[in-house]
Amino acid sequence: MVGLSEGEKHFIRGGIAQDIRTDGRRRLQFRALSVETGVIPQANGSARVRLGATEIIASVKAELGKPSILHPDKGKVSIFVDCSPTAEPTFEGRGSEELSAELSVALQRCLLGGKSGAGAAIDLSSLIVVEGKVCWDLYIDGLVVSSDGNLLDALATAIKVALSDTGLPKVNVSLSAASDEEPEVDVSDEEFLQFDTSSVPVIITLTKVGRHYIVDATSEEESQMSSAVSVSVNRNGQICGLTKRGGAGLDPSVIFDMISVARHASQQFIALVDSQIAAAEADE
Amino acid sequence: MRDLHLSLNQTQRVRLEAALHELQSLTPAAASAAAVTVADTIPVNQEDNILKGHGTSDQDGEVVATLCGVVERVNKLVYVRTLRARYKPEVGDIIVGRVIEIAPKRWRLEINFSQDAVLMLSSMNLPDGIQRRRTAVDELNMRSIFEENDVICAEVRGFQHDGSLHLQARSEKYGKLERGQLLTVPPYLVKRKKQHFHHLAQYDVDLILGCNGFIWVGEHVVVDEKVKATEDQQKSSDEAENFTPLETRKHICRLANAVRVLSALGFTLTVELIIETAEASASSNVEVNDMLGAEFYVQTAEREAKRRADLLRKKNGAR
Repeated sequence: MVGLSEGEKHFIRGGIAQDIRTDGRRRLQFRALSVETGVIPQANGSARVRLGATEIIASVKAELGKPSILHPDKGKVSIFVDCSPTAEPTFEGRGSEELSAELSVALQRCLLGGKSGAGAAIDLSSLIVVEGKVCWDLYIDGLVVSSDGNLLDALATAIKVALSDTGLPKVNVSLSAASDEEPEVDVSDEEFLQFDTSSVPVIITLTKVGRHYIVDATSEEESQMSSAVSVSVNRNGQICGLTKRGGAGLDPSVIFDMISVARHASQQFIALVDSQIAAAEADE
Repeated sequence: MRDLHLSLNQTQRVRLEAALHELQSLTPAAASAAAVTVADTIPVNQEDNILKGHGTSDQDGEVVATLCGVVERVNKLVYVRTLRARYKPEVGDIIVGRVIEIAPKRWRLEINFSQDAVLMLSSMNLPDGIQRRRTAVDELNMRSIFEENDVICAEVRGFQHDGSLHLQARSEKYGKLERGQLLTVPPYLVKRKKQHFHHLAQYDVDLILGCNGFIWVGEHVVVDEKVKATEDQQKSSDEAENFTPLETRKHICRLANAVRVLSALGFTLTVELIIETAEASASSNVEVNDMLGAEFYVQTAEREAKRRADLLRKKNGAR
């Protein structure tokens, strides 16, 4: 991203203080969201999400695997994020590694729950085919195609949409008598099962600039931030995860304030995402 | 149209398509014939042995375009002028650029050209306004004039013998731009005009249409007060920040969004069209932010189609 002159920085800060940002948005307004589903035919579910000039492609790939010995009744989900060098020249080579890792960790924290899988956004026990023997492994990949700030929120949205697009093939397992033998698996290529994504949270990042905080910051606005708090909220308004970036400290009361604002904003955002998913599915 | 990712509903899509279709039918046949895409044949008269220029190739005795753009003919030379390309400077162009480096006796500027432009310390007026030789002290104080990342406007002076592009800023109106926002559009949308600096008195806004596709929308600065204002600002920067007045800021954002809409639709940016679009949004009570919504895009396309149709009718009537 190119640097900004003092005059432009001052203008951006002034806009946030006066509640009219450079593109005319108010502090708690999102940029235009557009959603496409089924963009990658090879994947079980995929989505392209554009939030202003930020563009994300997310895909969900399902593979049959063996559940871990510790949790024989649960499937496995892993999330990876990659930042394409087309988004920004600094992402070339190993330049994006740090950012990718940071985003992956934040998403894993918000979507996957604890080590045991408790409290995960995706119901891991619904991924089980035969307890202790066969389960689905979900590989969720996010690709940042174009970056203009607020990557985490856009990634979480893209993953939510991709999961709602995902169909897992129906599996018929013929269990042989000897229980230690490998079960025979027959994967249907006609019947698909949707799984419940209603509890998948969205992430709302509140970026603090000056004394105020804003949602959906562009990269120019992010360059002026002192700190940012990402809150992941599910449909019921419950907080699923919380991460803070940026060096500046925050007063605890400000964080509580931010959480309640994020909760409020998330309910509108979830409704918006839902309507976009419905529209995208109707388009296909 | 590449950047246009709108979530249109059914009626909006039909209306936009109709408007764009009408716009296409309004373009003169000569203009649409001159536009080529890759592998289009360029009609030439084979007898007057033409010269094949940039973006053309010989395929089985036919001249074929290898780029998308507009066919230009200069005497015997035939070439394709691409639209989505970097800026091609011409002497006297007014451009807006961003300082990326301070080198001995010069600033280097990013102006969306294939190389960085150079602004020599000797080709700009000093803040004190006195004409004199530049001393070593001046050279050391270059950062007090322009720093890295500053947005400035200047004029294209010409190419040096080594092919580098030199700029000049020998007038009060050139110099640092502050308190506003910089927008970038494809350079072909800005046509060369007599006037590139526009002071929109009704909004108290300065609008600078740089030929390189960099557009500055900012608070109006009175030229004489420029020096004084920067001093004031430095003094008051520790105190409560003196932000742009809210009314002016709304106008700046409205004009900036008008530029965004028009450039996304691929309309040539003139000051009249930008003001008209901003006025139309204000008069139909469209919020500043909603200007980037699908409905306003469709309205803008329809308005432009109507405007061009009226223009054509007037022209035909006059004939």
